[in-house]
Amino acid sequence: MSSSDAPADDTSGVDTTTETDGETDSGAGTPADPLLAVEGVHSYYGESHILEGVSLDVNEGEVVALIGRNGVGKTTTLRSILQLTPPREGHVHYRGEDLVGLGTNEVAQRGVGWIPEDRRVFSALTVEENVRISVPKGGDVDAAVARVYETFPALEERRNAEAGALSGGQQQMLAIARGLVGENDLLLIDEPSEGLAPQIVADVADAIADASREATVLLVEQNLPLALDLADRFYVLDNGQVVATGDTDDVSADDDDLRGYLTA
Amino acid sequence: MTETEATTEESWLVRYGREHVPHLLVIAFLALYPGLYTLAVGLSLPAPLGWVPDLLYAVLPRVDTMIVVLYFGLFAMSFDFVSGYTGYLSFGHAVFFGTGAYTVVLAANGLLPFVPSGTPFLLLLVLAGLLAVALAFAIGAVSFRLSGVYFAMITLGVSQVVYVFVRDWDYVGPNPKDGISVSFDLHPGAFEIGVPFVDALGLGIGKLTGDTLAIAGLELSTVEVSYYCIGLVVLVCYFAMQRVIHSPFGKVMLAIRENEERARAVGYDTYRYKLVAFAVSAFFAAVAGGLFAGYSRAVSPDETFFFLVTGDALLVSIIGGFGTLAGPLFGTWFDELLREFLSKEGTGGGLLPFLQEYLPQSVLDAVILNGMTVGEAVDTFLNGHASLYLGLLFVLFVLFVPNGLLGTVRERAGGRVSKRVAARLRSRGGTETARGTASEDD
Repeated sequence: MSSSDAPADDTSGVDTTTETDGETDSGAGTPADPLLAVEGVHSYYGESHILEGVSLDVNEGEVVALIGRNGVGKTTTLRSILQLTPPREGHVHYRGEDLVGLGTNEVAQRGVGWIPEDRRVFSALTVEENVRISVPKGGDVDAAVARVYETFPALEERRNAEAGALSGGQQQMLAIARGLVGENDLLLIDEPSEGLAPQIVADVADAIADASREATVLLVEQNLPLALDLADRFYVLDNGQVVATGDTDDVSADDDDLRGYLTA
Repeated sequence: MTETEATTEESWLVRYGREHVPHLLVIAFLALYPGLYTLAVGLSLPAPLGWVPDLLYAVLPRVDTMIVVLYFGLFAMSFDFVSGYTGYLSFGHAVFFGTGAYTVVLAANGLLPFVPSGTPFLLLLVLAGLLAVALAFAIGAVSFRLSGVYFAMITLGVSQVVYVFVRDWDYVGPNPKDGISVSFDLHPGAFEIGVPFVDALGLGIGKLTGDTLAIAGLELSTVEVSYYCIGLVVLVCYFAMQRVIHSPFGKVMLAIRENEERARAVGYDTYRYKLVAFAVSAFFAAVAGGLFAGYSRAVSPDETFFFLVTGDALLVSIIGGFGTLAGPLFGTWFDELLREFLSKEGTGGGLLPFLQEYLPQSVLDAVILNGMTVGEAVDTFLNGHASLYLGLLFVLFVLFVPNGLLGTVRERAGGRVSKRVAARLRSRGGTETARGTASEDD
């Protein structure tokens, strides 16, 4: 196999890696086997090369933030994990199994949930139908619905409203709620704060914090304070490559290096 | 004990009725239509209003036309079932209609292997539906690999291939291009709708061969008997499709229409859902084709497999409301009403004979332009140009009523019509609201 070239996981703040094409071998069988290991993934939209060898790990129970400017490949990374944009090279190991080659629905059935950018709820369905449709086959639908309403009372008030009629914040909550009832072990959350008023962002942050108690989270977020607040670790993506990684405790939101990656 | 049972049963019935008021009204209207038509056309009013029955005769579709509304409406609903609810336009849907129609005629003529000529009509309909299901799985297995316009093109292509094949398939009869009819030697009786194998519990359909019926002092003609029998089958099919739409399966269909990626990411194998939805819709399309063949006893490739048959279904779906299921039936109704109103034939009434009869001779002879008289103008503009006006109307519909008839009503009402009416009745009726009522969210 390849040489072990895992991304440095030191605690000295921002660690700029030079690794661009690292085929990370996480070493199967070691106790610290990550829940998700993205290894040297190359993805394309048509002929445009979007991800140029992205590698990252997410351990069980963690919240990991993926940050970076617009257009550097954050969403594509999530899409590549989900096999919506299947990688042409590289591997995506989830619980040791390579997801590359599986269908998106099969990835979802293995417990990977997606909360897409722009809060894609099924707008023609009611709030409750949105929740019910997200419960996996054989799951206890009523219990799942009750749990959602317990966590998000605002949704219960509007249970029979069409989801398209909800406010932006409520749609985001519904999207997160749907990710939770999916009995997912890993939630991929894409830009949850985008386009929301600050007060609502705080609610959504609470919702994500709630979600992270039940599932491991890979969070794509441009709002740096929010990302650092919610996450345990972070990866910085630039031009389709991981350029930095570190512990969120060791950096602050006004860290110049970090801000440099986020401003054009 | 029996008392409480009776009350719960009644309240269930009453509640069901209340939740389906618009359905019941439409069904009641359709059930009364032949009678209303006879009454309206047969009216004799005093002198100044003597023209009213003639105008009604010109405007109202004949019962014969209403039969077309029923079976073609069913076909259009089946088209809407897959196209309107999953978002995949099934441009080759005519292939299923044709499969249904040809199955019935071929079976009746003893040309279908293993199927005797005397097989009960309802069984033939089911057989036709199952053949269409098999065909749908075959077509869908390939075409659902693609999306959008490519899907539409593949289904269209397949149906045109079948159309060309059937046109030259001399197995069906001596002149396949012109179609085939049910042989009176091999299948002299009418196609019966009723309990299979029990002659007394079935009624024959068809203008010439169908049964007449006298009940409760009413004489029903063959056309009227056919209307009720075909209507019954269409009603059952409608409720079956509606049941699927409102089931969890139907919710997934909607989810696919809205965002297929999202539906897959929730864990649904959308390919399989699409395939099953396609097959279900093919089944009902074939039943519609079978009803058409059973009533008319003759089919031709141009009336069944041709792509314009799908075009008509698309047209009436857009007029009636895409993704509303019942809308396409209303669209067909509207379409047939206009077609007949604008047709040149005197037999079904229509605008042209009405104007020719009622405009005074002096008006008809008046010259408008370049020596053209009003009479000639009426003839020029109305004689045989129904399709032209329908085309214009279609454009206007797309521009100004994009949601169609039923879609617009739903939009105005803020939800499905029966739901809204039920909510209205409930809030007016006050206290005895059922548990778990749908709240009135905007």
